[in-house]
Amino acid sequence: MTARVFTVSLATVLALAVAGSEIARADTLAIGASIPKASTKMKNVDGKEVSLADVAGQKGTLVIFTCNACPFAKAWQDRIVDLGNSFASRGVGVIAVNSNDPAIVPEDGYDLMKERAEKAKMGFPYVVDAGSEVALAFGATRTPEAFLFDATGQLVYHGTIDDNAKEPGSVTKTYLKDALTAVVEGKAVPLAETKAIGCGIKFKKA
Amino acid sequence: MSARVDRIAKRGRVAALTLALLSAGASVPSGPELRTATATRILEEVRRPGAQVVVVNVWATWCLPCREEFPDLVRLQRAYAPRGLRLVLVSADFDDGREEQVRRYLAGQGVDFPSFLKEGDDMEFIEGLSATWSGALPATLVYDAQGRLRHFWEGAASYATMERRVLDVLERKGSQREAGS
Repeated sequence: MTARVFTVSLATVLALAVAGSEIARADTLAIGASIPKASTKMKNVDGKEVSLADVAGQKGTLVIFTCNACPFAKAWQDRIVDLGNSFASRGVGVIAVNSNDPAIVPEDGYDLMKERAEKAKMGFPYVVDAGSEVALAFGATRTPEAFLFDATGQLVYHGTIDDNAKEPGSVTKTYLKDALTAVVEGKAVPLAETKAIGCGIKFKKA
Repeated sequence: MSARVDRIAKRGRVAALTLALLSAGASVPSGPELRTATATRILEEVRRPGAQVVVVNVWATWCLPCREEFPDLVRLQRAYAPRGLRLVLVSADFDDGREEQVRRYLAGQGVDFPSFLKEGDDMEFIEGLSATWSGALPATLVYDAQGRLRHFWEGAASYATMERRVLDVLERKGSQREAGS
């Protein structure tokens, strides 16, 4: 697989992100890229510091940018948790990352994240991306937004959960589940990039 | 006790005023006409003759940055409509009972022109408008009189930024006309 990685300095990405409220768009991680900011420690809802490298699985690693407040994140929450819990037991490392600045969105404060993780029965870390540093390194822009890396640490899927946020019973395309299944089985992901409407990440302002 | 009496009296006055307005033929603001639309339909609206610059804004009632920039969008439309600006507002609210909510919000913002409700598959809608759009809200696209996309951005923008991009399209058109004349 050819790695198509955009190399951009963090300073450039930060400058783009803080120029007004517009979302930096040019630097989204490309298919084939390796996990950025893998050793950055983030505070988990259990109080421990966790990095993406810490959670990496033998079969693959799923990083989902999500949050408490976004209606799309709420609508998909149960499916995200089901997929996360299910594939965590099949060798995929799973982590949910909240990059919203709680100064902008109080509902995304740490205590409310702890409540959410407990209520939703998340069997994987739900961490605070303080300063939105990890989201910026991924080029993540919205919630929820999934990045799936294979066993070798290369990005093989980037996008949404499925094709119907609001009505789980009306889903016809299970994009993320299909990608996870392929990764666990060591096969090629059927559709590497998908999109859905979602909430913009509320990046911390400088 | 007196506070309760005051509240009841106040409700009575509001009800009496409402009845008086209705009986006098006055209507409560009902908001603009709403039409469902795919990306194809939105692009038809962009290319409908008569505009010098078209601003498409995809938003939702629950979206905080969308609500923050909304008054500036309406202000921009009012300021530049005489120079040919057409504002195309597309709500991406979930489709369960959204019409009433969207209409009420638009009425509150003073929107008095037809507006749109996104319809159909997200991927098709997003890709249909711009391949560079990630899907994050709000999203704004600025087209010229020929329907060519000139500016695109995700996230809220200030009035000054919106105005600069609209003027860029209007003035580019002007300079092209001068160069061609």
